[in-house]
Parts: sequence; C-alpha cells; structure tokens
Amino acid sequence: MKERGIAIKDSVKENYIVIEKSVFPNNGKLLFLTFFALSLLLFGMLVDKPINIITGLYKISIEPDLLITDYIGVGGIGASFVNSGLLTLIAIYMLYKLKINISGISIVSIFLVAGFALFGKNIFNVWPIIVGVFLYAKFQNDKFSKYIHIALMGTSMAPIVTQLMFNKTYPIIFNISFALLIGLCIGFILPPISSYMMRVHQGFNLYNIGFTAGLIGTILVSLLKSYGFLPQKRLIWTTNNNLILGLYLLIIFVLMIIVGFYINNKSFKGLRNIFQYHGRLVTDFIFLENFGITLINMGINGLVSMLYILLVGGALNGPTIGGIFTIVGFGAFGKHVKNILPIFLGVFIGSVTKIWSINEPAILLAALFGTTLAPIAGEFGWKYGVLAGFIHSSVVLNVGILHGGFNLYNNGFAGGLVAALLIPLIEAFRKDED
Amino acid sequence: MKHDKKRISKIIDELIMYCLSMDSTDIDVKLENREDYWKIQIKSNCNNIKEEKINRLIKCLNYPKQEEMEEYYWELTGECDVDTELSIVGMMTNKAEVNFANDILEIVLYRNK
Repeated sequence: MKERGIAIKDSVKENYIVIEKSVFPNNGKLLFLTFFALSLLLFGMLVDKPINIITGLYKISIEPDLLITDYIGVGGIGASFVNSGLLTLIAIYMLYKLKINISGISIVSIFLVAGFALFGKNIFNVWPIIVGVFLYAKFQNDKFSKYIHIALMGTSMAPIVTQLMFNKTYPIIFNISFALLIGLCIGFILPPISSYMMRVHQGFNLYNIGFTAGLIGTILVSLLKSYGFLPQKRLIWTTNNNLILGLYLLIIFVLMIIVGFYINNKSFKGLRNIFQYHGRLVTDFIFLENFGITLINMGINGLVSMLYILLVGGALNGPTIGGIFTIVGFGAFGKHVKNILPIFLGVFIGSVTKIWSINEPAILLAALFGTTLAPIAGEFGWKYGVLAGFIHSSVVLNVGILHGGFNLYNNGFAGGLVAALLIPLIEAFRKDED
Repeated sequence: MKHDKKRISKIIDELIMYCLSMDSTDIDVKLENREDYWKIQIKSNCNNIKEEKINRLIKCLNYPKQEEMEEYYWELTGECDVDTELSIVGMMTNKAEVNFANDILEIVLYRNK
C-alpha cells in the first residue's frame, strides 16, 4: 500500500509489516508558503506608496525593536507587511535551497518569521543569529540544514542586535562589532541549549526556543546591566486599523480553508481526528493526517483567534497579528480550537479577577501567545488548560524585565516556567493511572 | 553525530515505555552495534493490547527520517510517561519492522550511522 509517499509492504507472514521510508512530496506545501509570503508583500504594496514603504523600511531597520514595538507604528502598514513578506520569502528560499522536507515545524518556522516581522524581526537584524547557528553547524562538522529551524525560530533575540548597534553611548565601530559579536554568540549557543531545554517542560511548552532565549536573555542582560547598560521600556501599539487588517486576515484564513477543503478531496474528513490529538511536542498534523486537513485547521485557528481579539475589543496590529500567525502556524503542529480555547478562557477569567483589563496590549498578547500551553489542555483536560492560562497571564507580565524585552517570544519564556512547575504537580495529584 | 549512543538509549527507553503501557510483563531487548547501522530489537508480551495503539505505533514509525527534527527534539524521547514520543523514534530511524501475533509484539528498528 502507498500512503503519502511512504511504502508499507505487507509480507507473507501474518501481521508482519516492513516500513520502508521515503520523503513527502514538497511541491504543494512550498507553493502554499510562497503564496502566503507574496500575499503579505502584495498587501503591503497596495496599502501604501512606494516612497513611504522605503522610508518605513529604513525606520523599521534602525529603530529599537524590543518588546513591544509595533512596526505599523514605526514604518506604517505598507512597510511592515513588505518587511514581513520579504523576510518570509527569504526564509522559504532557505528551506528550498537546503532541500528541507516541509513538515509541521517548517510551517511553524515560516509563520513565526512572518508574524514577528511585524513587531521585532526585520530584513536587517536577523542575520547575525542565523550566521551564528550556521557557524555552530560548521563547528560540529554538521549540515546547516539540520539546524535551519532553530536558526529561523532563534531570531527571537534579533532586537538585541538593533539595540546594541544603534546605541549612542559608544563609537559606531565599537557598536557594530559588539552587536554582531553578541548576535553571532547567541546563534552559536542556541542549538545545544534549546534541545536540552525540552526536558524541562517535557514538550508541554510549544515555544521552546522562547523559553531558551528567555534564559539566555536573562543572563545576557544581567551581564550588560553590570556594565551600566540599561534597557529602556517601550510600547508602540497602533489601533484603528481593524477593518483593513481584519479584511486581509479574513481573506487569507478563508482561502486556507477553501484550498484545504479541495486538497482534502472536497471534505472536512480528518478534522475530528485533529481535535483528538493532545498537541504536545511533537504532533505534526501534516504527517499524522494530511496537508489538506491541516490547512483547514490552520484557517479555523486563524478565524477563531482573530474573532477573540475583535470580541474583547482589542486592536489588530503588528503584535496581535504576530500572535494570530503564530497560532495559525502551530495549527500544523499541535494547536486546534479544542486545546487553545481553554487558554483563552483562563486569560479571560484572569482579566475579570485581576487588576488589568482584557484588552490591554500585554493581556491580548498573553491570550494569543499563551496558547503555547495548549498541550496542557489537550493532555490533562480543559480545566487544567484554564488554570494554565490563568497563571500564565500573570507570569508573563513579570518575566519580560528579566531579559529587558529582547526576547520576542516572551510568552514562550513564561510558558516554559509555568509548564515546568505545573506538569509535575498535575501528574502528582490527578486521580488516574500510575 | 553528538550524543549518538545516548540517542539509541533514549529510543529504547521510549519503546519500553510503550510496551509497559500495554501491561507487558516480559520484555526482551536486543541491541546490535554494526559498522554501518544500529539494530534495535524489542520483543514483548502485551496483556492489554489495543488495536488503536498498534495502529498509532505503525503510523509513528512511518515518519520519514528527518535529521532537522531529530536534532531539535531527540531529548524528548523517553522523557514523558503520560504520552508517547513514538513519532520522534520514527524520525530517528531509517527502517522499521513490526510483527504482532499471539499477543506477542516484536519491533525491529534500524538506524544508519
């Protein structure tokens, strides 16, 4: 029998199966990712004049981009989406050149690049970290392709490159050299640490690189502070663009569902299967089910998370779209409505009982990115998911200061801490098997 | 490759956890370290066999060998006792054989060096 490019031969012996592996065909998936990147680029070009886009891109490149810097507020909608489209196209080209087998994690990497290129990653500041990972691969006499996902996701620390490079205290030559050196060092140490950190949360925190980068950032900022470097606070947050941005997102997500429906033999078959997965790392829906139904799940995740933002009176902007794209990307790698809704509910209950309101910037992001803990709801039930969301919304507001806002995946850092504490407790006290 | 022996040991951990989850009482493990490949053989009785679990095993072992996934996620193998990481085992191995008859499950995995 032949299934998704994998040959399974039934031999003469009863119940004896020999599994001979081959790779998945990539063509449709690469095409989908390229269309997505082009849609970002096209949308950016349609909503603004070329001169504004160019000046916007320049501003985005030189302005500090630590949390929370909405690129729409820095360079405008056009420049932000063009930045996102260009960076996403480059990332897709890297996957293509390295002959990467497009799986769930590849889709996550691409959507993380696209989303965070609206509030922190740009065509200028990501390279030292990517080159750092490349140097690590060379140091280990290994192929760079083995580390490409860590390289792409590891650009979460990109704001530190911009921050150090455009520091006005020291001479420019020193700033450039120091920024490049720090970026390279972060990339160089990221692969072994990120792999090791998996054990801490046992795969219940989906943004493992965020957890790793948070720890690296905490140590780095502590060292920098010892030499008088004080990270500033920043909040650039745009509003009043819900209509135009919402329309773009709506079209993209509905198209995902329609295309997925056609690929999946004009059916929603398999969607119920997706909802049955706990979502803990590694849950690759493309492999476990198929690409068509995965696309449908991604589109549904996008619609639900956008609806959440609009229902609570939040703003669609760079950071919130980044959060929505992250949920959509993880729609191929563990997240579905059944395990993300309890997290939303937990954050919502938190906002009713705690001292902040549900549509404050950090709380909106806590809800969207807090779905890093979705596997807790999937594995242990929705009540634990609500509890995780409730705790996470408080923790995430207090850990940003540790890394000075340089780790864009701040929720991954907080999520790792919450999961590391919550998992052993849930396992110890829940009433079921040994 | 870094931690190659540790990775082999973690694959075995995961398979033993899988067998124990089906109430196995006798488990035999055989490991062969050959010039070009590792061969991992595990044979176990299954007192509480579930078809769904066998299908899941076969599905996960189908996972194509993926070095970039292995490099990032291999540390998760054999770490969790409330869920399995058989798909990582799948992406860490080049060939698999599964034999199930008379409540005896036999899994043979090959991992190229």
